[in-house]
Amino acid sequence: MSENKVVLSVRDLSVHYLTQRGALKAVSHASFDLHKGETLALMGESGCGKSTLNLALMRLLPGNARVPNGAIVYTRRDGSTIDVLKMNQDRLRRFRWSECAMVFQAALNSLNPVLRVRDMFYDTARAHGETNHHKVRRRALELFRKVRLDPERVFNAYPHELSGGMRQRVLIALGLLLDPQIVILDEPTTAVDILTQRTIIDVLLSIKDELNFSIIFISHDLSVAAEMADTVGTMYAGEIVELGPVNDMFYRPRHAYTLGLLEAIPRLSAGAEELTSIPGSPPDLVEPPSGCKFHIRCPFATDICAKETPPMEVVGDGHSAACWHADQVYARALQFTGAES
Amino acid sequence: MEGTPAHRLYDAIKRVVGSYAFRVVVQGILTLWAVTTFTFVLIRQMPGNPIQIKIDQLMDQRQLSYDDALKSAAGLYDFDPDEPLIQQYVKYIGKLARGDLGKSILSAGTPVADQIRRYLPWTLFSVGSGLLISFTLGVLLGMSMAYWRGGLLDNTMTVVASIMYGVPDFVIALLLLLVAGVQLELFKVGDVLGGISQDVEAGFNVPYITSLVQHAGLPVLTYVWTTVGGWILTMKSSTISTLGEDYITVAKARGLPERRIVLAYVGRNAMLPLITRLAISIGFVVGGSVIIEFIFQYPGLGRLLYTAINGRDYTTMQGVFLVISAAVVVSNILADLVFGLLDPRVRVGGQK
Repeated sequence: MSENKVVLSVRDLSVHYLTQRGALKAVSHASFDLHKGETLALMGESGCGKSTLNLALMRLLPGNARVPNGAIVYTRRDGSTIDVLKMNQDRLRRFRWSECAMVFQAALNSLNPVLRVRDMFYDTARAHGETNHHKVRRRALELFRKVRLDPERVFNAYPHELSGGMRQRVLIALGLLLDPQIVILDEPTTAVDILTQRTIIDVLLSIKDELNFSIIFISHDLSVAAEMADTVGTMYAGEIVELGPVNDMFYRPRHAYTLGLLEAIPRLSAGAEELTSIPGSPPDLVEPPSGCKFHIRCPFATDICAKETPPMEVVGDGHSAACWHADQVYARALQFTGAES
Repeated sequence: MEGTPAHRLYDAIKRVVGSYAFRVVVQGILTLWAVTTFTFVLIRQMPGNPIQIKIDQLMDQRQLSYDDALKSAAGLYDFDPDEPLIQQYVKYIGKLARGDLGKSILSAGTPVADQIRRYLPWTLFSVGSGLLISFTLGVLLGMSMAYWRGGLLDNTMTVVASIMYGVPDFVIALLLLLVAGVQLELFKVGDVLGGISQDVEAGFNVPYITSLVQHAGLPVLTYVWTTVGGWILTMKSSTISTLGEDYITVAKARGLPERRIVLAYVGRNAMLPLITRLAISIGFVVGGSVIIEFIFQYPGLGRLLYTAINGRDYTTMQGVFLVISAAVVVSNILADLVFGLLDPRVRVGGQK
């Protein structure tokens, strides 16, 4: 991670879905900064709001979603800033993909089945003003080589002629076509086998070094997050509850939920008996619990947790957490990970 | 390399037999043969035969005795009802194989092929344009309804389309004729019945074309009225499921203009399920609509079939049924090919 300029600054962003039962608070008051060249990984259980947050960043939310408050400030290459939430339709259309691209979870279904891969590349380029097919083709083939695909064959293929891992890499290449500053990767490795997963991560690491874009990365897989990320954020019930540098997060967590996630993954150094899972399930987001939303499932919980919402406090260099018992969590974590303070 | 002539011949035969075109043609011929045989037997199981029907008519109209009627009826037609079925069948198939549909029994001496040639264009024109209008309208409306789902257009048209879909065509035809024509006198009934007015000269001129459109108007309207609901509802549900696909969200994320998304991403994928239905409909265009053509006295194949059935004109019936089934078979083959063009996943032809 480099300490240079911020490309995306999210402040106090909330997203609600209108449902029959009332507003479902999928994301509440999320704030974070994404620097140039930084990889931010968001982790958390299914339904914690990771994907909603990412869709909100590109304003791709479904029709029943509302953004009651927040700002998404994007810094262009020339240094000027703009709030994504205030763009008009045409501006937004041009912002998408050329500044911020997204590789979706369901790569198998992300490509139009009736068009050739090349037509999707031409479409994308044309939508952003590049009509020269030769140039697009040259750039696409170059990207295919970078993501380790057979360029000529894939360029002229239909999506159904490619395997899942190949389609995933086609999407990554498509995402990089317009040289965006930010690429959002929504669980890019969940739908593929372990070997393909390895290839995709290697590809991502190498092209990221080469092209120097920023990544927002969503994954259930903590080991992938640990490998890819510079910064890690933990999301619980629509809130970012802890955010910090990757080593701090994995070895010196300050939030009970982060610790719970870490304890749930098997480690080579530990015996199977030390694996614990977090009891219970994520709370109802239409009527969220009072205080800290995690207190019902939290082993550290005391009276204050049910009454008052813990504030986000700085606990280290670039590391902040919202937990009343950050110190106890920290002590337990040191015991568990064996790391030194 | 095995290059003996026998081997090469064997390979060539294998290639031809295994090819898609060959399979399709053989399948088509077999289907037609089965339909022909089936209708041949079936129509002869209907009560009465051409001679019997004519005898009844003669006895009724001219008050002849049965024997007299039998004598004059038998003299009218070149048809022997006592000939064994299998003999008739062999004769018929033999002629058919040489491309001869035989001669009409009722209009003695007129080849069935000539009759079909005379009536077919009318049906193709009226039902064909009806189908074209209905399909286009249905696709456009269905897609718009899916786009603005829950809006005014969607809510009203869903009800209207279901009602239109549910009312049988002859009811609509009679309503048009009796209410709009006879009671409200919106048009003169005599002006719209039949295929064309008597006094206009055939050719590419304004009065002729006006008259053509005027007479086809009501049958086309009835056809569109009763079929458009089906297209609307199918297209709507198909568009809704396409809109939920990930590649639509991705297309938006890629910043594609709305027009491109509607045409190449939503429209093309949503149309796929309708192609098969369209092919079947095209096949049935040829048969026309028997009841509609009868009600409007429209000189199409449907009315020819109606008259033929009433008079037990076996050869004409067989001819018309053959043409209808051939149309269905051919349009299905075409649908397969078109479907392959539109959807690369089911592209036929073997290679890849």
